[in-house]
Order: sequence, then structure tokens, then C-alpha cells
Amino acid sequence: MRGPDVAWYLAVAAFLFATGVLGVLLRRSPLIVLLSLEIMLNGANLALIAFSRLHGESSGQIFALAVMAVAASEVVVGLGLIVAIAQKRLDLDVDKLSFLRG
Amino acid sequence: MIVAAWICLVAPLAAALLITLLGTGISRRAAGYVATTSVLAAFAAAVVVFAKLWSEAPSARSHPSTAWEWLTAGSFHVGLRILVDPLSVFMMLIVSGVGFLIVAYSIGYMDGDDEERRYFAYMALFVFSMLLLVQAGNLVILLAGWGLVGLSSYLLIGFWHDRPVAVAAAKKAFIMNAVGDATMALAFFLLIQHRQTLDFPDAFGVGPGHGWLVNLVALGLLGGAVAKSAQIPLQTWLPDAMEGPTPVSALIHAATMVTAGVYLIVRTHAVFEQAPRVQELAAGLGAGTLLMAGLIALVQTDIKRVIAYSTMSQIGYMFLGAGLGAYANAEFHLLTHAFFKALLFMAAGLVIHALAGEQDIRKMGGVGRLMPVTRLTFLIGSLALVGVPPFSGFFSKDSIIAASMSRGWYGYILFAAALIGTFLTGLYAFRLFMIVFPGEPSPFVREHLMRGSHAAGMEGAHREADPSAPHDHEVHEHSGEGPFSMTATVAVLAVLAVVGGWIQFAPLWHPVSNWLDPVARPLAVPTSTQEALASLFAFLLGLAGIGVAWLIYGARQPTAPRITSRVPVWSRSLLERKFYFDEAYDFAFYRPAVGLARLLGRRIEGPIIGGSIKELAAGFREAGLGTGRLQTGLVRTYAFAIAASLAVITIVFVAVR
Repeated sequence: MRGPDVAWYLAVAAFLFATGVLGVLLRRSPLIVLLSLEIMLNGANLALIAFSRLHGESSGQIFALAVMAVAASEVVVGLGLIVAIAQKRLDLDVDKLSFLRG
Repeated sequence: MIVAAWICLVAPLAAALLITLLGTGISRRAAGYVATTSVLAAFAAAVVVFAKLWSEAPSARSHPSTAWEWLTAGSFHVGLRILVDPLSVFMMLIVSGVGFLIVAYSIGYMDGDDEERRYFAYMALFVFSMLLLVQAGNLVILLAGWGLVGLSSYLLIGFWHDRPVAVAAAKKAFIMNAVGDATMALAFFLLIQHRQTLDFPDAFGVGPGHGWLVNLVALGLLGGAVAKSAQIPLQTWLPDAMEGPTPVSALIHAATMVTAGVYLIVRTHAVFEQAPRVQELAAGLGAGTLLMAGLIALVQTDIKRVIAYSTMSQIGYMFLGAGLGAYANAEFHLLTHAFFKALLFMAAGLVIHALAGEQDIRKMGGVGRLMPVTRLTFLIGSLALVGVPPFSGFFSKDSIIAASMSRGWYGYILFAAALIGTFLTGLYAFRLFMIVFPGEPSPFVREHLMRGSHAAGMEGAHREADPSAPHDHEVHEHSGEGPFSMTATVAVLAVLAVVGGWIQFAPLWHPVSNWLDPVARPLAVPTSTQEALASLFAFLLGLAGIGVAWLIYGARQPTAPRITSRVPVWSRSLLERKFYFDEAYDFAFYRPAVGLARLLGRRIEGPIIGGSIKELAAGFREAGLGTGRLQTGLVRTYAFAIAASLAVITIVFVAVR
């Protein structure tokens, strides 16, 4: 098998995932949070594809494609929400967007 | 026959339920008739049972009947079981017969009371309870009846529930009786443990070699008997129980319930005979009570209380007889006592009724001139009480006194006490009679009786501090001594009080003994000489008592100071305070209990229990506030917690692997 060992791919996937988690946890802007979510999903995708290559099976890649589709629709919904919030001239800050709290 | 016995038992219960369920759908008077009819039906059934039993051979006269299994606990079974035997039939006849007369009397006496229906429902309930007690075929049913008579006694003593005195008296009676119930229940537990049954008569064969057990059981039973029959040391509730309506006093606190203790001793004589010391104790308590009650009766100024102490004293005679093993004699005295004591109460009720509820004999005097029939019946009752031949008390009381002569030196002590008792009986009975009846009517009596109209049945209402006690009985007119239902029943009882004793005259014929001896073989059978001696002594001492009463109270118009001033001050206050039993109980039980409760409240309840709960609550509040701080409401913190814990789990997992 050509290319680097699967461990490297996994390391990059873990790095991407951790970056995404930190982004979700630390950033306040919903836009950045969505972005970080995409990074987390991509980290997971990378791990899926790496294992798919390792085992010579295509189901992992098909999973990755499905995740991309879900991620795209999620981004659509998320961006729509953010646009709606911005139109109301509310702060784009996830900590302050708590008006739905019971 | 068994069917008749069940009918006898159930009829009063049915009446009580009927009156209760119909509520105001039934007129007051009809409630009285329902109750009276049911008790009459019970009496008729009892007579049928008696006649059937009479026709059988004496040895075959015992018929248990179980309606259904009532309790089951392992191998221990209790059925709803009645026992028809000579003793229970004897009691059934007394309870339903005298009960019928008294319930009928109540129709007139309670006429116009606001709550007549409740009264008659209670009365019917009482008659049912008492019949259950005497018909019970095992000790559990007996205890059920025992408790139910206590309950109905409580309800009827406190019948006028807007009078605090009556309510207090009812509570006192109930609590004093509860002491006896408790000792009885303990005795039953011992019997269950030892015999695995409480059915008559299997439960009593404890057998030799269990001295302490038998003694404990007998003591427990004696405790119950003493409490129910108002003997020393649980006697203090009976005089207070006079706060109830007079027919209640006649039925419950003279004729039937208070004699249940005597019945219990006779019924369980097999146990007492195995514990002779306890049986002697019963006789001794009876002797002590008859003396003490006779002495206290000398200074009481309430007409009903005098008769109440006389009841205690007469039950003392019955205990004396039962304790000596003269069971039939005790039961015979129970019978005649039911007649003449109910008569005395009901005649007193006529006086009270006519005087608008006044019970203080210091205000009475010369009542006899205006109420000649009442005077005659009261005189008959008093003569029967003192035991003057040929009145009924002579036959029954003297045979008990004679029985005490046949039991050795202890018997002679009791004999002496009983004889002194007859002297006291003559003295207090005729003190009461002389003060109330002969002579010129007192101003108070004249005011009430001359007009011929009065407020009926306002018994004692004006003795209250609050004159507006809401007993707005109708004022109704009737001349003379009382309505027909009252005078007629009193007349019947007067006849019974005269002739009731003739059914047994110890030296010549003794059907009562023959009837009861198969159930309870007597331990003491006096000889004819002893009978004659006892009768002679008792008669002479009774006459002496009457004579002294005549000398002190008979000659002149009674006035308040003369009634009590002839007795030395120290002994008078001793007697007026009833030998300080109430004070002693207050000192021995009430005050330590209250003191202990206060101490526990101050030292334990406040600082330890209350404090610990307060601390615990504060701790939980702190913990709750702390935990609450974790709930920030920020999704980010939750997400962080999830991610961090996931990370920790992953690291631990990897590291451990």
C-alpha cells in the first residue's frame, strides 16, 4: 500500500476533530460554531476514509459521502437560522441567544 | 333454639342500624318505639331459649354455635361463636328484660330532647353489645362485646356533648376501662400462647404446673373485671358517669354493664380456681369496695351519685361472692340488684324529671307528699337494697354473706366487712330517702311541683356555669309524677324488686343455684345454720342502719347544714373527696406523665429531634444550591462537560488497555 501509515491519517483526523470541538466550545459566534462543526465532521470523514482504504472496503467511503450530504443540509438549516437571527438584529452570540429557555 | 339466640343478639343491632340509617326519616318517638320493640324481641327470644334449655337435661345444656370463621392466624382460629348455656341465658334474660323496661322508660324521660334518635340508637347498640358480651362463645368475642359496651357507655355518658363535665366523665370512664381491657388482652395472649384456643371452656384448662401463668392470666382477667365493675382500684369513673341521662345510669351503670365483671369471673371461674390467691384477692377487693363505697355514699349530696356509690358497694358484694366461689349467689344478687337498682335510678329519674333536672338533695325534701307513687317505689327499692325481708335483696345478699362464713378465717374477715356494709347500706339508703321524700315540701320542690308544669329533662343543665347551655327541651305539661311509659315501667320494676328474690330462698328452694351450678360448681356452700345466722345479723344491722338514719335525718325538716355537719370534719372531707383516689391518680400518673412530656419536649424534642431535622434541611438546601450552580443554562458548558468526560473516558480506556 502506498502513502503514509494509517496512523498518520488518524492523527490528522483527531487533530481536525479536536480543533472542531474547541471551536464549538470556545467560540461564541454561531457562524464559527457551524464552521467548527464542519471541521469535526470532516475529521470523522477522514478517519472513515482512512479505515476504508486500510480494509479495502468501500462502505466507509459511502458513509463519508452520506455524512457530507447531511453536513451540507445541516449547514443550510444553520445558515438559514443565522440569517433569520441577523435579520432580527439580535446579537450573534450563542451565550446570549437564550430566549427559548424555559 | 340457636336461631332464637341469634335473633336475640341481632335484633337490637338491627334497630341501632335502622335508626342510624333512617336518620331524620323517622320521627323521634318512632325511634324510641323501634329501639324498645327490638329489645322486647330480644327478650322474647331469650325467653324462648330459656324455655328450650329448661326442658333439657342439666348436663346437656351447652350449645355452641359458630356463624363463620372470623380470624385465622396460623393454627389459631377464632369463630364468631356464641355459647348458649344456663349462665349466658341467665344474663340474656336480665340484660334484655331489664333493658326493655329501661328503654321503654326512656321514651318518656328523653321526650323532647334534641337528639332522641341518637340516644335510642346508642341504647340499642348498647343492648346488642351487652348481649354479645354475655353470649360470646370465646374470649375474643367476649372482648369484642366488652369493648363495645365500653364504647356505648362512653357515647351515652357523654350524650349531652355540649356539657364539658359530661364529656370529661365519658373520657374518664373510657380511659379507666381501657386499663382493664389492656390487662385482659394480655391475659388472652398468654392463653393463646399456652392453649392455642380461646373457646369456652377449652381455653381454661391450663393445667397444673403453670402456677405463675395461671396467676398472671387470672390477674389480667381480674383487672378487666375490676375496671368494668368499678371496684378498687379502678372505681373512680363510675360516680362521674352519672353525668349521663338517668336511664343510662339505670341500664349501664347499675343493671348490666357494671356487673359484667362479675359475669367474667363466673364465666372464667376455672382459671380463678387454679389461682386461688387471685380469687381471694377478688373477694378482698369486693369487700374493700363495698365498705369504701358505703362510706362515701354517706356524704354525697347528688341523688344519682349516692345511688352510684350504692351500686359500687353492691357489686362489691357480688365480687365477694364470686371471689369466694359462691357463683350462683353472686349471679343471683346480680339479678335482684338489676331490679332494685334500676328501680332506684328510675324512681330518682322521676324526681329529677319532675324537678327540672335538679339532682342536689339539699334542695329536695318533702317530695313524697307530691309524688306518692314515686315515694312508694323508692321505698321498695331502698328496702330491697338494705335487704329487709321479704324484699329481693334479703334473699340474694344474705346468701353471699353466709357463703363467706364457710371459707375459714379469711372468710370471717370478709364476713365482718360485709356485715358492716349492710349497716352502711341501711344508713346511706335511708339517709337519701329521709332527706328527699318525707316531711314538708321544700321551697324549691314546691316551686316546681305545685305548678304542675316544668321543663322536662333539663337534667343538671342549670348546674353549669353557662346558663345558656343549649338544651332547649320543650316545656310540656303533665300533672303528677311522669308520663305513662315512665311510671308503668317503674311500677313493673317495683313489683320485681319485691318478688324477684322469692325465686331462691337458700334454706328451702334454690332454682337459681340448680340452674347455674352445672356451669360453675360452687366452692362455698354455707350450711343452714350459717344462712340463718348471716340473715339474722345482716337483717339486724340493716335495721340498725335504717334506725340511725331515722334518728339523724328523719325527725325534722332537712336543711343543708344538717345533712353533713354531724360527721367530724377530717373524715367528712376524706369521704367527700372519695378517699383521694382521684387526687392520688392525678399525682401518680397524670402529673409524672405531663412532667415527663414537658421534659422530653424541652430536652429532646427541641434540641435533638427538631435541631437535627433543621440541620438536615439546611444541609440539603446547601447541597441543592451547590448543584443548582452547575445548571448554568449555557449549552456550551454542557457540551464542554460531555466532551471533557468523553475525553477522560477515552484516555482512561486507552491507558488501562
